[in-house]
Amino acid sequence: MASNRKEKPKRRSASQWAVAWRRFKRNKAGVFGLVIVMAVFFTGIFGSFFAPYPARPNPDAYKPFYEGDVRKPPSWLDPEQTNKWKYLFGTTPIGTDVFSDVIHGTKYTIYVGLLVTVITMALSIVIGAIAGFYGRWVDNLLMRIAEVFLVFPALLFILVFVRIFTLTVGEPFLTLPIINIQIPTGLTIVVLILAFFNWASNARMIRGEFLRIRELEFIEAERALGASNTRIIFRHILPNLLSSIIVISTLTIAYAILLEAAVSFLGFGDVNAITWGQILQENFSEMRTVWWAEIFPGIAILLTVFGFNLLGDGLSDAFNPRLRD
Amino acid sequence: MNFGRFITRRLSLLLGSAMFRYIVRRLLYMIPVFLGISIISFFVMYAAGDPLNIIRLGRPTVTQETIDSLRRYYGLDKPIPLQYLNWLTNVLQFNFGKSLYGGRPVNFLIGSWAWETIKLQLISILLAFAISIPIGINSAKKQYSKQDMIITSISLFGVSMPTFWLGLILIIIFSFWLGWLPSAGSRGAPYLWWGNPILDQIAHLIMPVTVLVYVMLAQNIRLIRANMLEILRSDYILAARASGLSERKVIYKYALRNAIGPVITYLGISLGMMIAGAPMTEYVFNWPGLGRRYVDAAMRLDFPLVMGITMIITVMTLIANLIIDICYVYIDPRIRLR
Repeated sequence: MASNRKEKPKRRSASQWAVAWRRFKRNKAGVFGLVIVMAVFFTGIFGSFFAPYPARPNPDAYKPFYEGDVRKPPSWLDPEQTNKWKYLFGTTPIGTDVFSDVIHGTKYTIYVGLLVTVITMALSIVIGAIAGFYGRWVDNLLMRIAEVFLVFPALLFILVFVRIFTLTVGEPFLTLPIINIQIPTGLTIVVLILAFFNWASNARMIRGEFLRIRELEFIEAERALGASNTRIIFRHILPNLLSSIIVISTLTIAYAILLEAAVSFLGFGDVNAITWGQILQENFSEMRTVWWAEIFPGIAILLTVFGFNLLGDGLSDAFNPRLRD
Repeated sequence: MNFGRFITRRLSLLLGSAMFRYIVRRLLYMIPVFLGISIISFFVMYAAGDPLNIIRLGRPTVTQETIDSLRRYYGLDKPIPLQYLNWLTNVLQFNFGKSLYGGRPVNFLIGSWAWETIKLQLISILLAFAISIPIGINSAKKQYSKQDMIITSISLFGVSMPTFWLGLILIIIFSFWLGWLPSAGSRGAPYLWWGNPILDQIAHLIMPVTVLVYVMLAQNIRLIRANMLEILRSDYILAARASGLSERKVIYKYALRNAIGPVITYLGISLGMMIAGAPMTEYVFNWPGLGRRYVDAAMRLDFPLVMGITMIITVMTLIANLIIDICYVYIDPRIRLR
């Protein structure tokens, strides 16, 4: 053992990430959020293997309809059904299994959450960085534009734009060439519009951080050493922002999922991609009888968003212990 | 006259005061924002393509001549910037055109729908802010106590919950299962709920208000709590405590005043967005307000109505922002009026 210890290089002090992770592990709520998020990802990726019925365009999805099982309440609640596991979340008026629908909807939720966040964060980092670093009239101009996006009622504009652009959709699904994954076109349009209308507040936050860090001494030192602007931005300011960017991203995922659910619920979503909001919309008019088709997809949304929010809060506490006493 | 001189002196003092200049500058800042939004909402219409194509749809007998004459009549043959200016001058005179469905003026429609929305929103906003401030302060005062844990998790739930879904659950439980409350509308059709017009109104308001209040409450409590926590740790609170002030005074006079800023911002935004209503909540409860009508208008691509509502919301939000900024100056003297 002793020789073993000798061979090892001298232990470096724990990195910022290791410290944050150790702090995060102690936060029960944050870990709980992480577990939920991992479960959601697991369901999204492997859901089609254990869902009782296939996803919607496949006619087998309507099997309960052909078996006469329309509007069946969840089987564990219904004394008339003998198989207590058959329809865990009940069936819809059009004869699909709500449990399968919810499982298949998970991948769309992940798709929406991640893509909206990636685009939003890319936009807001670029804009926030330019505005915060270069200052003066560039800052003024960009922040006025951000203000335009902050002031106007985003949800209303999103609805109109989604309506206009989904009207022109031709093919319901795009197939990615190499990995052979089908992407719903309408949902992608919704995602792009959501991202386009949500960058402003994040950009403002990042700009503020840039303004703060730009004035710190180590940047001044770097400048005295003759570093270029690009080097300062990418090598010195952005790494310092990484932790807050991760936290903001997590919360943006949660927000994007909620927004997409709202857009779909109002009937503006993509009818080819059965997201959770879409399930709620489909059964809204039948709510009085098939309440289970409204409750369970809603719980799925609630849990997922709750998980991302908990994770975001936990990460924020882990990176930023000052707030944590 | 002495009096005249007094007036002119007062006026020049006012005009020269920092506050006045601040307000004027804020007003000037609003102009580009307003123009930006007006441009976006104008081009929404162009994103949808030629409006006259709608007339052609399903009417094969419409000739090119009719289309051309309509184009000239509505001024659609002019260059787009000119059309925009034309529209803008109309908007500045509060003339938003006519709805594409039914042909009634947009002004009239908005005026007749706004009341229901304002009623719903005003009650919820006032309730939410009245409740959330004491709760948030208490929660911050006793951080990590059982009470604090319960309140933070409830409010985190509220932030994570889709607004409309809470509405759906309430309808299922209280209207369908228990039959206690009306599930839709704002007024007593087909019969008066609880037998009296006022009680009927209250019965219709309970569930939508609950949903709106819960969502706002959740957001607000989180805001206040986070702020208070940070401020309670600052040096001047320590100093205030050290000088022997009562806890009550420390919290409500020193800490609250510093913590209230973001809450006021949020209140202002809520009030400004009030007219937009909560489209989700209004949709779920079939509340006949502006938000619900906006969803319908967007669905049917009724552009004059959509643009009219958007512009009114924009102006209200801008005014609310201005008022927030002015309030900030009074609350927080550290903000300098440059």
